[in-house]
Amino acid sequence: MLPQRSRLSVLVFLLPPLALYGIAVLLPIFQSLFLSFFDWDGISPMLFVGLDNYVRMFTGDTVFWIAFRNTLGYVVICLVLQLGGALIVASLLTLLRRGREVVKTLYILPAVISTVAIAFLFQRIYSLDPEGLINQVLEFVGLGNLQQAWLSDVSTVLVAVSVPEGWRFTGLYMLIIYAALLAVPTELEEAAKLDGASWWQTFWRIRFPYIRPVWITTTIIATTNALRGFDIPYLLTNGGPGQSSELLTTYMYKTAFTSTNYGYASAISVFVVVECLAAVGLIFLLLRRKADA
Amino acid sequence: MRTTRTRLTIAATVAAFGLLLSGCSAGGGSGNTDPTNVDPDGEITPREISWLLSRPADGGVITAMEQIADEYAADHPGFALNLITTPDRPSYIQKYETLAAANKLPELFDTDATPFAQKLAKQGKMMDADALLKDLGVYDDYRPAALNYQRFDDGSLYMVPFEFQLEFFWYNKALFEQAGVEIPKTLDDIPAMCTKLRDAGITPIALDGQDQWPLERYMAYYPFRTAGPDYVQQLKKGDAKLSDATGEQAVQWLSDLGSAGCFQDGFSSTGYSDAQASFTSGKAAVYNIGTWELNSLATDALDPSVRDDIDYFTLPVTADSVTAENEYVSPSGIGMAVNTKTYDPLVRDFLSFALKRYPEVYAATGALSPTTNVETTIPANATPLYQRAVDQANDVGEQTAMPWDTQLDPTSNTRLQQELTLLLQGEVDPDEFITTMDGVIAENGPKAFK
Repeated sequence: MLPQRSRLSVLVFLLPPLALYGIAVLLPIFQSLFLSFFDWDGISPMLFVGLDNYVRMFTGDTVFWIAFRNTLGYVVICLVLQLGGALIVASLLTLLRRGREVVKTLYILPAVISTVAIAFLFQRIYSLDPEGLINQVLEFVGLGNLQQAWLSDVSTVLVAVSVPEGWRFTGLYMLIIYAALLAVPTELEEAAKLDGASWWQTFWRIRFPYIRPVWITTTIIATTNALRGFDIPYLLTNGGPGQSSELLTTYMYKTAFTSTNYGYASAISVFVVVECLAAVGLIFLLLRRKADA
Repeated sequence: MRTTRTRLTIAATVAAFGLLLSGCSAGGGSGNTDPTNVDPDGEITPREISWLLSRPADGGVITAMEQIADEYAADHPGFALNLITTPDRPSYIQKYETLAAANKLPELFDTDATPFAQKLAKQGKMMDADALLKDLGVYDDYRPAALNYQRFDDGSLYMVPFEFQLEFFWYNKALFEQAGVEIPKTLDDIPAMCTKLRDAGITPIALDGQDQWPLERYMAYYPFRTAGPDYVQQLKKGDAKLSDATGEQAVQWLSDLGSAGCFQDGFSSTGYSDAQASFTSGKAAVYNIGTWELNSLATDALDPSVRDDIDYFTLPVTADSVTAENEYVSPSGIGMAVNTKTYDPLVRDFLSFALKRYPEVYAATGALSPTTNVETTIPANATPLYQRAVDQANDVGEQTAMPWDTQLDPTSNTRLQQELTLLLQGEVDPDEFITTMDGVIAENGPKAFK
């Protein structure tokens, strides 16, 4: 039980951020929810349409479902690159005796470069005419027949727009996981090694259980980041060709700001909110259950 | 902590709508309310006025208007023209529509004759340009084609043009000779031309697929020739369909362009400058672009190795063409609208000064004026092609092929641009394309133009 004065100071420090959170986060969510029951183009009177926007979204809009499917693909690719890549790099980093700081800095560098610069960079890397880096390398190693316009092919474009996002934040998550790995007591690992545990057994039985809480947090951050992915796909392909790289966020943006259908765009945004909350709940449930098992 | 972070991330995506909600109740207030009251009473009180525009920052229009604003400010201390430009069109449209929703548009703003603009006009938020230009005594100076391009379907005029452009098919004579092809006489000759050029190892047509409007021009060509400019007017409202004979022929022609490999591989991710470079470096044989690129294509800025090989032809006809050879895409660019709410004696006086002075200043930059009362100055470094292209402006017919991106409702337009890429890449066949687009237009078109 805190003394009266402390309780007051806690309240003084907690209330302003709470109020800010309410105004900046909760209010817009409820405004979106409200707007999603209307048909509104921004300049004409708002027309109440009940659940029509949701009915259209779930039953009549094929692009919405394509965008949803693409979003899931985008999230999976980003997670594999970011979490898988981060874990591998962080593990290797613990083995490194010299130059760790340089490697860490190099890996985290993409996270501080502006998104627009990254989009331009990858536009050049994927380009076919003029020949970009990937196609040049393919030609160089004698695989010239595999050269193609990676951003124009409907079968490669989703991976092509996901990779920059995955690549960009691998270093950041690597840093978090690396810090967690450093906290694993070395005596435990040494004892296991003396008992004849293989590298994999040491990793799976000792290291990973130790970093599990950090792993859960990192997974949640990476998932929600990927679910709201927008800038790189928007800049690289604007959702194209066709709807092959259309994500829910780019579709929502176009619905609001190109079609000026703010009501329907709000319904999509409500779906994105629910989708993010559901994803966090699911990750929590799965990883916690595993930990308890 | 975790949920806070989640919600914060979500908040970023929905914050825009919150802003809009708070914005829609703002604005209003006093000011002019009559769009036809082009000569309001009162004193001219100099102040800063703003023009929200979507034009290249170093382009002729902005350069000319800056000079004119400085001249006006010299006689009217306290006056300033604040030019806020967003050349990237989709970003501009977002900015302009958000400001319109918040009722915060500045004195002058750019817009095409879109359904959104028409709603603003119907609400009396834009000054009647017909009345304004007539009252200022400059209406008759304008090329009818330049004004017509700005009109809404009902013939009303709410935007003032600042440019006049002609869109040509620029081609490389040497590459044509190398592949043994002639200038296509009809649109139906183009697929065969492409096949021959491809066989000779030449990229037939350089296309900026990334910006999507260049490909959408090709959608407009065939129906403009076989059915005239009215076709798209009917189509956008759902009164005509792509499954009609006109539409079917057009879609089949586009599909033929795709199967003949007319555009460079990976065209959908090629940007504006890469497409142009492909033509100006002698790699591609044809490039479809307007006279706004005269400085790059008809001056000594052009690579000497291709300079003498560049020529142009205009939009080919079809066998049963209802429009003439001298009728093609001749846009007058995005137009400038005048905000009714902020219109006062100062805005009128400045526009009176600027619109009378503009043609002379603009034509001196080597560009085509939307008016007929001035001669374009040919730059000293121009090739003979420059003069020919400028002279061509006096020979343009009455009917103009309207770009479809300024005609269709925005939802149908976005989908059309997406589906066109798929059609040209062979991902969907003509029948699927027609079914999809007729469905999308039927759902969105009629309600946008009601």
